[in-house]
Amino acid sequence: MHLVFLWLVEDLLTVFTGGAAQIPELFILGVAYKILTDDEERRFNLPAIWIAFAGGILWDLRWVGIPGFFTLGYVVAILIIIQIWEVIPPQGRTSGNGFYYIVFALLEISQLLPPVLPVLILGGGTGWIFFIRQQIYSLPAILICLWLYVRKIRRSN
Amino acid sequence: MSRSTVQELAHGLIALILALFLLGVSSGLGILKGIVDLWATLLFIPEYPAVILRESYLTWRDKSSDLEKLNFEVKRLRNENAILRRELSGYKVAPDIINIIKNSNVRMARVSLRAPMSWWDEIRLDRGSHDGISGGMPVFHNGYLTGRITTVSQMTSWAELITSPSFMIPAVIEETRELGVIVGDGSGSVLLKYIPAGRGTIPGMKVSTAMIGEQLAPGLPIGTIAGEYENTHDGYITYRVNPGANMSRFYTVDF
Repeated sequence: MHLVFLWLVEDLLTVFTGGAAQIPELFILGVAYKILTDDEERRFNLPAIWIAFAGGILWDLRWVGIPGFFTLGYVVAILIIIQIWEVIPPQGRTSGNGFYYIVFALLEISQLLPPVLPVLILGGGTGWIFFIRQQIYSLPAILICLWLYVRKIRRSN
Repeated sequence: MSRSTVQELAHGLIALILALFLLGVSSGLGILKGIVDLWATLLFIPEYPAVILRESYLTWRDKSSDLEKLNFEVKRLRNENAILRRELSGYKVAPDIINIIKNSNVRMARVSLRAPMSWWDEIRLDRGSHDGISGGMPVFHNGYLTGRITTVSQMTSWAELITSPSFMIPAVIEETRELGVIVGDGSGSVLLKYIPAGRGTIPGMKVSTAMIGEQLAPGLPIGTIAGEYENTHDGYITYRVNPGANMSRFYTVDF
């Protein structure tokens, strides 16, 4: 339900700004956050792949007109996040400033890959400015997720 | 490798293949148009508050910078211009038509979808039959012809762009009254075909829609002739046209 809400918020923000600003990939960030904070071992990993797929298809139908365009980036991002996350033993996922950098990097993957991948596959010259702007706009959302993660870890400790 | 890792990789791979497959088969918008429109219509209700907010903000911004007054003046002059063009073309414009033109509001629509694969062919607009849009209506940007409406649903409509190869309309060079056909090349260029050779220096002259057929009203400005594109050596030359509408940077169109 939270993810549906995030998808809608991202959609509404895109409608409101009308392309004047790059909206953070809130939906896929939410999926990534949910993977990282899943209490039960690997319970959410499989649904996460298909939720990312479905959310990507709906996004493509709404804003791009080509199903698969962002879906590809969503699925790849979630797959990479899951694989890296599962390499880290659960005992090591607790605290420490160094570990938070890893969490930040994983959340960042969800913001970087979806817009980059279609350009790499289909070609085109969007340019660095576009990606830098997109990353700057995404930063507050990533930091909020990181803060929520830290808070959750500290509480559970 | 654990069983769950294999399972995740397998699901991920299936999802990836599906995404790639969809990306491959849906490059032409054709069959998807219905689904895309349906989804946009379904989202119209949850998106409505954002639309209202955006329009309120734009109205407030326009008001605060006197843009509203300027827009009104542009609208009035454009309507007056349309009447004069028709009369110059030899049409006697009926008084009731003049009233309709004078009282008509220049409506604006936002481009809600421009698919990369059909970039120069068509755009989707966020206005439909609900807003009085009908098939065949011309759409403008910067006061110049950008395309015409092809399909209309209740909340959205699709317009074919003048850069599309299937967009063919009769046009006239205003200075010489020479007739030709405007057609897009599908790669961002607009061409004027079938202009007889040996007509002097044509580049720089203005092109507008011609009073032939009933597709579009005559006198709608299209752009200026940029230069010779192709000489077919059968007595006719194709010219490249600089569209007055900025085909690479439009977010809204007018009706």
